[in-house]
Amino acid sequence: MDSFGSSTSGSTAAQPNPEAIMDQVKNQLAQAYAEEFLETVRGKCFDKCITKPGSSLSGSESSCVSRCVDRYIEATGIISRALFSQQQR
Amino acid sequence: MSFNSPELQNLLEQEKQRAMVNEMVSKMTSACWDKCVTGAPGSKFSNSEAACLQNCAQRYVEMSMLIMKRFQSMQ
Repeated sequence: MDSFGSSTSGSTAAQPNPEAIMDQVKNQLAQAYAEEFLETVRGKCFDKCITKPGSSLSGSESSCVSRCVDRYIEATGIISRALFSQQQR
Repeated sequence: MSFNSPELQNLLEQEKQRAMVNEMVSKMTSACWDKCVTGAPGSKFSNSEAACLQNCAQRYVEMSMLIMKRFQSMQ
């Protein structure tokens, strides 16, 4: 994946078009969001589900983790709805 | 077309806004999760957990306003 930094000041030839730059910006942002979200979920679910790390992940820990991931995604939805659709008050 | 074409600047501005909204939602989710989801997560949110999350987000916004006013009154 190359970045759009190749054409700095001065170079007039081969300027990438704005759409290509924007696509790249969007993709990189989407990837950054996903990574950050993943990192948050890891932290939250580790706190909730792996309370006493044993020699392997137990079945109940694994199922707690899947529920935790689902609930965290759901919570994100509840929060954004609470913020952006005020009519439900 | 250059880097400072108005279209590109507009789109970047939009993405910046979106990034801010995203960050706000994610911070609030994190804070409200800690407050409202006590104990191991179940297969469904209880009504009180869901209501707590919703209240939490709205109170967070309200509180932000209060804090802003407080700071403004100090100037």
